[in-house]
Amino acid sequence: MSANNDSLLEAYLFETGSLLEQLDNLVLAAEDKDNFSEDDINTIFRIMHTIKGSSAMMEYNSLMTIAHRVEDLFAIIRDTSIDIVPESHRPELFDLLFQSIDFFRQETEHLENGEPLTDNIDSLLQKINSFIEQIQGGGKDQPAAGEKAPAANAEVPAGPAGVPGYPHLLQVFFDEGCGMENLRAFMLVNEIRAFCQEDDFKFLPEDVQSNPATSAELAENGFLLCFRKQADRDSAIHSVTGSGFVRTYQVIDHAEEPAPAKEPEKPAAPVQQAAPAAPAAPAASAPAAQPAQPAKAAAPAPQQQDSNTRHHKESLISVNLSKLDELAAVVGEIVITESMVTSSPELRGMKLDTFLKSARQLRKLTDELQDVSMSLRMVPVSSTFQKMHRIVRDMCKKLGKEARLTLVGEDTEVDKTIVDSISDPIMHIVRNSMDHGIEDTEDERIAAGKDPVGEIILSARHTGSEVIIEIKDDGRGVDDEAVLRKAINNGIASPDVEYSHREILSFLLAPGFSTNTEVTEYSGRGVGMDVVKRNVEDVGGTVSISSEQGKGMTTTLKIPLTMAIMDGMEVSVGDYIFTIPIHNIRQSFRIEKDALIRDASGGEMFKCMGEFYPVVRMRDLYQMDEGFTNIEDGILMWLESGEQSYCLFVDQLLGEQQVVVKPLPSYLNSFSIKRSGIAGCTILGDGNISIILDVANLYHS
Amino acid sequence: MAQDVLFAVEDTDDTLLEEDLQESQTEKYLLFTSADLLFGVPSEYVVEIITNHPITKLPLVPTYVRGIINLRGQIIPIVDTRILLRCDGEDNQCIIILNIEGTLVGILIDSVMKMVDVDKESLRQDLAQKAQNLVSGMCSLPDGQTMLVFDCAQILNQV
Repeated sequence: MSANNDSLLEAYLFETGSLLEQLDNLVLAAEDKDNFSEDDINTIFRIMHTIKGSSAMMEYNSLMTIAHRVEDLFAIIRDTSIDIVPESHRPELFDLLFQSIDFFRQETEHLENGEPLTDNIDSLLQKINSFIEQIQGGGKDQPAAGEKAPAANAEVPAGPAGVPGYPHLLQVFFDEGCGMENLRAFMLVNEIRAFCQEDDFKFLPEDVQSNPATSAELAENGFLLCFRKQADRDSAIHSVTGSGFVRTYQVIDHAEEPAPAKEPEKPAAPVQQAAPAAPAAPAASAPAAQPAQPAKAAAPAPQQQDSNTRHHKESLISVNLSKLDELAAVVGEIVITESMVTSSPELRGMKLDTFLKSARQLRKLTDELQDVSMSLRMVPVSSTFQKMHRIVRDMCKKLGKEARLTLVGEDTEVDKTIVDSISDPIMHIVRNSMDHGIEDTEDERIAAGKDPVGEIILSARHTGSEVIIEIKDDGRGVDDEAVLRKAINNGIASPDVEYSHREILSFLLAPGFSTNTEVTEYSGRGVGMDVVKRNVEDVGGTVSISSEQGKGMTTTLKIPLTMAIMDGMEVSVGDYIFTIPIHNIRQSFRIEKDALIRDASGGEMFKCMGEFYPVVRMRDLYQMDEGFTNIEDGILMWLESGEQSYCLFVDQLLGEQQVVVKPLPSYLNSFSIKRSGIAGCTILGDGNISIILDVANLYHS
Repeated sequence: MAQDVLFAVEDTDDTLLEEDLQESQTEKYLLFTSADLLFGVPSEYVVEIITNHPITKLPLVPTYVRGIINLRGQIIPIVDTRILLRCDGEDNQCIIILNIEGTLVGILIDSVMKMVDVDKESLRQDLAQKAQNLVSGMCSLPDGQTMLVFDCAQILNQV
């Protein structure tokens, strides 16, 4: 049972999370236009309805209540038009929505961490309620639920097709299992009486107030409201959607012809109003099936529309990452086994035409399989990028600045684990740009000859084995002198030394540095960029900053596409086989003995393109008793990582290969093997192991 | 095995309860030789025995770490017991894969003998103060040989 609950919770969190993200993006886009399109309103309505339904199912009452009220709000907007909210109230509406989104986010976070939900939702609820009142203001009064009902037992011929003379039907279905259907129906009737003449509408069954037995009938056939005038019916739809526990409703218009033989359950030609879809509600039992069908059919249509107008949703199915790892491991095994079979020594010298043909086919398929299994882990960075819209928006409000965020290349795909780990760094940098970069006032920007609205460009692009993420703002840029002063104050820099522009910028990434003297809500805790650097380095990336005073600042993150797969060059030293990441290799060459220059301390150097590079001999570095000693026998690899550039002397190049990085057994950690330049290992096609070198650490050791 | 059970029954002709106790007090050991010594390792640690597996050498590790192997996609470090026992490492090709508290380690040994049941009572574990290399206890086997109990925890703590 608990396992079942867990998976339900997981599904709930996933669904709610993605809906909130969708909502966030939608509201942000709408805020830009300062208007909601009809589609937007319908989508918000649908999202809120889904959250309401699934929250109710999970018995998260606070979430359900808020979702319900927001749904009400949008039902009103939908049924009238966005114009019901005057321009002056729009910002309030957007704020309200963002507050609600934040509330849902916060609550789902609580759920995720197994913390109790917040009970205190009154203030948010109040805000929504008062807003609803505001936009309804003066218009139709919501009738009090307890209003005394006049005797409603007028003589009406009953019939499944409604009531003659009342051609405009509205069939309302209540939420399944909500209980007391008869009373809910009666409350609806009361609401409708508030704006509709007693004679102008009828409802079936009639004795909902007095006869609790009608509950079952209502649950099964729905509650039928019959109106004389279409306008009244339309107002009633508004009441229906505004009241709780209505699962769906449908509008049935009887044409002039007297053919009332249609049963309410069989709406032959109903004018299908966008029925609130409730996919999360357990629409299981028989009576629910029929009305639920049109609702479900209606739901996917707007969704498809969304996907056209917005970036494609990257996740259609959520799979546990460990399963993908498992898959990758098995695929790796298959590839190895395949080459073991086809290159088996027992087959040597035999003439096996068909076998070779099939083997080639197998190789092609396993290659494809490998590619697919690797691509499964790749996700676009768009979800991370989209989150930044919200941060920019919030900070604009808070800091009273004007800035827009431009996204470039958000479809760039990166390994899932990397996407997760760069989200925080990007957020930090964007905040920094907003807080420190963009000028405080428009005047300042205009005086500097810039667009009064600041711009932050967030871009991602591939370069072979790396993804480059740039966060660029057109703000003030870095004030070298201020930075240096600060660095000296904080003891990071020494006052007696001349620093280059580049060195000064690197202080920004040092721990405990922040140029803003004030600690703000968003940044300035003085840990930001330090954390950025560490997080990025954890996934094997690098951070660099460039800036020109007055023009802005660019922070560049270089991140490997994936930590699991990389292109490597196999090299050998004696019996040892090492893999060097291709992206670290600049060039490789054989040299003459004379080209090697010795320095005073016994080190060796090599001159290449006018620059000198130290030569590191693999054999000496790792104290191996194998491998070439004569520089002319082996080969020099010119390697580069970050700021370092040096030549590594190895015996032989064995070839390029795509390898799956495996960590070394934890047992070996006690030998500080990581610090000596070994990043991990990989299994080669023939089942042998190759050691992957960490070019940056290799030189340090 | 039959012998052990026979012993157990003769020693405790009292109650059923005691017999139960007695039964739970035998442990299975895998006997192997390394550097001409007879070792036993509790069978619960043993994952599998492999022979003739190519070992990839690692630089900058102590000599007793012979390297790593690829066992069906898992990377497992290999420790040479002969070198730990101050003998010359030979080309011994038999590896016992042990699972010591979740860590997989392979030990390189001379040869695997057999499985035996050892009465826990007959184990002597007071050798610790002598700082015995790789030995956590010893006991006599029914056939007169002396088995040294292989200290698995020590393998992990070797630095």
